Amino acid sequence: MAKLIIDGQEFQAEEGQTVLEVARKNGIAIPTLCYHPVLEPYGGCRLCMVEVIRHGRSQLVTSCTYPAWDGIEVKTHSEPVIEARKAVLGLLLSRCPNVPLIQNLAYEYGVKEPPFPTENPEEKCILCGLCVRVCHEMVKANVLNFADHGPERKVGPAFMEKTRQCIGCGACTIVCPTGAIEIVLKEAAEYQAKPLGPTSAIYVPFPQAIPRVPVIDTDACIRFRQHDRTNGQIADACGACEMLCEAGAIDLDQQDEILELDVGAIVVATGFQLWDAHKLPQYSYGKSPNIITGLEFERLSNASGITGGQILCADGKKPEKVAIIHCVGSRDKNAHEYCSRVCCMYALKHAHQVREKTGAQVYEFYMDMRAFGKAYEEFYERVQEEGVVMVRGRGAEVEVLENGKLRVKGEDANLGKVVAVEVDMVILNTAIEPVHDASRIASLFGLGRTTDGFFAEAHPKLRPVETNTEGIFLAGCCQAPRDVPDTVAHASAAAAEALKLLSRGEVVISPQTAYIPAELCSGCRVCNALCPYNAISFDEERKVSVVNDALCKGCGTCVAACPSGIIVARHFTDDQILVQIEALLGTPTS
Amino acid sequence: MAERHRADVLVSCLHDRAPDLLPALRQEIEQRGLAGEVRVIEAGCRGFCSMGPVLLIEPDGTFYVGVQAADVPELVEETLVKGRVVERLTYREPTTRKRIPRYEDIPFHSKQQRIVLRHCGLINPTSIEEYIAVGGYQALGKVLTEMTPEQVIEEIKRSGLRGRGGAGFPTGRKWEAARKAHGDIKYVVVNGDEGDPNCFMDRALMEADPHSILEGAIIAAYAIGAQHGFFYIPFEHTLSIKNVRTAIEQAREYGFLGQNILGAGFDFDMEVRIGAHCFVGGESTAVMAAIEGRASEPRSKYVHTTEKGVYNRPSCLNNVKTLSVVPEIILRGADWYTGIGTETSKGTAVFSLAGKVNNVGLVEVPMGITPRELIFEIGGGIPNKRRFKALQIGGPSGGFLPESLLDMPMDYETLDQAGAMMGTGGVIVADDRTCLLDTVKFFLEFLQEESCGKCTPCREGLPQLHRILSRIVEGRGEPADLETLESLGRAIQITSLCGLGKTAPNPVLSTLRYFRDEYLAHIEQKKCPAGVCKALVTFVINEKCTGCGVCARKCPQNAISGELKQAHVINQSLCIKCGVCRDACKFDAISVA
Repeated sequence: MAKLIIDGQEFQAEEGQTVLEVARKNGIAIPTLCYHPVLEPYGGCRLCMVEVIRHGRSQLVTSCTYPAWDGIEVKTHSEPVIEARKAVLGLLLSRCPNVPLIQNLAYEYGVKEPPFPTENPEEKCILCGLCVRVCHEMVKANVLNFADHGPERKVGPAFMEKTRQCIGCGACTIVCPTGAIEIVLKEAAEYQAKPLGPTSAIYVPFPQAIPRVPVIDTDACIRFRQHDRTNGQIADACGACEMLCEAGAIDLDQQDEILELDVGAIVVATGFQLWDAHKLPQYSYGKSPNIITGLEFERLSNASGITGGQILCADGKKPEKVAIIHCVGSRDKNAHEYCSRVCCMYALKHAHQVREKTGAQVYEFYMDMRAFGKAYEEFYERVQEEGVVMVRGRGAEVEVLENGKLRVKGEDANLGKVVAVEVDMVILNTAIEPVHDASRIASLFGLGRTTDGFFAEAHPKLRPVETNTEGIFLAGCCQAPRDVPDTVAHASAAAAEALKLLSRGEVVISPQTAYIPAELCSGCRVCNALCPYNAISFDEERKVSVVNDALCKGCGTCVAACPSGIIVARHFTDDQILVQIEALLGTPTS
Repeated sequence: MAERHRADVLVSCLHDRAPDLLPALRQEIEQRGLAGEVRVIEAGCRGFCSMGPVLLIEPDGTFYVGVQAADVPELVEETLVKGRVVERLTYREPTTRKRIPRYEDIPFHSKQQRIVLRHCGLINPTSIEEYIAVGGYQALGKVLTEMTPEQVIEEIKRSGLRGRGGAGFPTGRKWEAARKAHGDIKYVVVNGDEGDPNCFMDRALMEADPHSILEGAIIAAYAIGAQHGFFYIPFEHTLSIKNVRTAIEQAREYGFLGQNILGAGFDFDMEVRIGAHCFVGGESTAVMAAIEGRASEPRSKYVHTTEKGVYNRPSCLNNVKTLSVVPEIILRGADWYTGIGTETSKGTAVFSLAGKVNNVGLVEVPMGITPRELIFEIGGGIPNKRRFKALQIGGPSGGFLPESLLDMPMDYETLDQAGAMMGTGGVIVADDRTCLLDTVKFFLEFLQEESCGKCTPCREGLPQLHRILSRIVEGRGEPADLETLESLGRAIQITSLCGLGKTAPNPVLSTLRYFRDEYLAHIEQKKCPAGVCKALVTFVINEKCTGCGVCARKCPQNAISGELKQAHVINQSLCIKCGVCRDACKFDAISVA
């Protein structure tokens, strides 16, 4: 542990630290331009010069490269230091007279005008090399380099030619202190058309997320992209997050893993997905950035979203007219016939939000207003009072006009005629539908599905959270569309059912199960696939089918199907049934 | 070498100047049946550039200069057959105009003390046998069999040898630091990149005596405990690369490199690394960057390269001249070496003389020699009897010294104090027809182009200095410019990253210190006293004109007219101020108004 004096105060330094690092850690300001904590020190801009007295000898050094040696004394603001920084800033200001960062720094040191003639007043690059170094050291794409030398030095790809090596990660634009590098997309419109805008590779999914920790988007993260792009040859790119995280909470080598747990009950809560609005082309979804789904509107109006909660069109202006179309994909013979249940109420909420935040005129195209819950009807009344125009009738078509506006057509059933409005934004209330891999989940757990594709409960009225498979329960939208209060209630019920099972400690099973005598089974496996409860498995070693007594419900399907007729339904054997029949008929046993 | 010869003919300066000389000489000797008696040797550089190609005939020491293929028949007939000297090919001393037939007697040679260049031009550089015959690899044998590494370091420390790359860091201390540095793998780096535009001593040495450098490097490796060495040479020095590679192969063959050297249980091998040539490329950290395969840009070396050098491992980098002296010190002892030179700077310095001096070339002299001896005795004085004005020493970024310092003994310290530096030993002489501002501007142009551009002050500051100076020589200077030049120059010195930036303002600052009048003449009187800066010069013909008409014939613009034997006049509207007339006039009749 080295001890050094900075501006009269004694500090301790760790092995390998530079004077700049020690100073910054202790709140002593030293200006820098070419320094970045995750990059190798460079010593190029010469702004971080300090006076160091070592072995009685004083010299001006760059603090970013000078080791924090034991016993040295550092002066960060002595007169020679100030003079040196002034000279450097004078030269930089003469190079880049119109870069605010340089202007401010120079002003701070009393350099108010460029002291020397300027060659190119538009010059922004100060040649600090941060972009070059981040591209080499972090991204490991080795795209950016210095070309030429002396006053002709510039930054660019090799031979100043376009290169396919660039992965477009944008790291160079992030580290550039003067904004000299921009990413220009070939189709700028495409970039702007993304309704939710770009995000960084690390983000907190949403402020209310639990647990509230950031996630890394491996499709955007430089490290994962370089790894995938080079088939693992470049496996250690970037890692800036790992270096900078003081808590040491980031482990980039972490892999996806499959956990195997033994449990007594399972609650299936796989949720829903939104129906794809592209499937009904009359709504022109995807043809204009101002046609968005209800969920996209939620993101837009969220205070932590890209607009900070402001409701804006893609061009950044407030909408003057907004149309909300109900039942997109619901109650529709061409899509889903069922009602998605939640859309009416969130549509009313959106209408309320638009009115409140923008004052825009709102048109709701609805077929029936299903305000069925507690205080829902009252809310409907209130929204109507707020001046939202209710058009009773399905929104039939959305047309993108040449001026960017949207024309919404529909039949107003109350008026009995077709109406059309021109609006700035259309919100489509798309249907809730089962997740795309619901069938895989169903076969995994032995669940039934109703005609609409949602998982089937054991009984619609009496056993709404249980399934036909013992110990497996349903919660939320995987069973049917439902809103938040209903989902909470449903999930609570599922949890209670699961607890009921677990708290008993042991499982009571029916004695009426099927039994396969191993010595008679031919191993044809017909019964395996037929069992609705997944209770029959095949013993590979003995080549016979085996019934799991805990899962078997004694339904008898296998008994009837067995080609050899050897499966026995306990307590319902052929002999027992025949005896009962004989008894009923009063015929004597044979 | 079993054959005995009657005479050896050592031919130097072959590779560019007289490609057909050597074949012609060989053929002539063959035809006359002298092949068994006379041996022709391609020797390396003798440093006598203004006189090349030169030819030394041993054992009688006859020295011929400016020899061309056409001279060969006469030379062979007269000297090699009849034993007579061909008078017209001998050296003529520029001051006394006397012919001097023997090499030994020429002041250019006799005033020198050759230690670094001891074998240059005397042995065949591509023959390890010849090097061994003159005592080569004896020092290595002594080191490996009689001395511990510590003793070697002690001997070098005692000798006071300082790095000949320019900065003059004590070599023994550098070796000691490298020996003490922690690390299993250590490197020796031989720096053969000399960037000064008018210097060629490193190249001459690599071409003419590669084995002495190699021997020094192996001794250095033994002293610091290195297993591997890099010999860094810029790619333009093709002959150096060839000769050094040959030398390395021969040394391996003879067991001076490789496993178990001389049976002493010491392993060391070397390889040649070729780099791009540039001025800043010779800086030690830039050399190391280039060896690692990166662009040759310097980095901060607050942590010395002896701790963290090539691939962040302890590395000992020495200039070729430094290493070449090492075997000599080991053999003759530190006391012998300390007997040469001054109190603080021991041994000899190699200077490369250029500019307005008669004997342009490479000279090696004891440290502490005065500029007067260097220029007027060894250099043979200023051509055309012009007046001495200034001496620039230390390469393009060296300072200019005035006449008043001609008797100052030159060593590292005195030169530093005077605002110049030893550098790699480039010396340029300026006479009264040299405009120092113009010269300084030229060097700034070179330096700004050669700056790597990594650090702000050097990249941004040098062009600004150049801009101001250009303005002054164009007649648009202002009195405040002097202060700006001075303060900016100082700032660049203080804030730059490497030696290039730290020394680049030297030419400006030293001329401002010693030749301020010349600046004032340009700025205040709008005149260039030397008659160089076109914007400030008007040539006129004075009363000394004899009307010979030479100037009128030479003038590219036909701007001079006049009757024969009558005073001529210059038509100022046609004159482009090229100065051809002034150089042509034998009567000093054209002056600067």
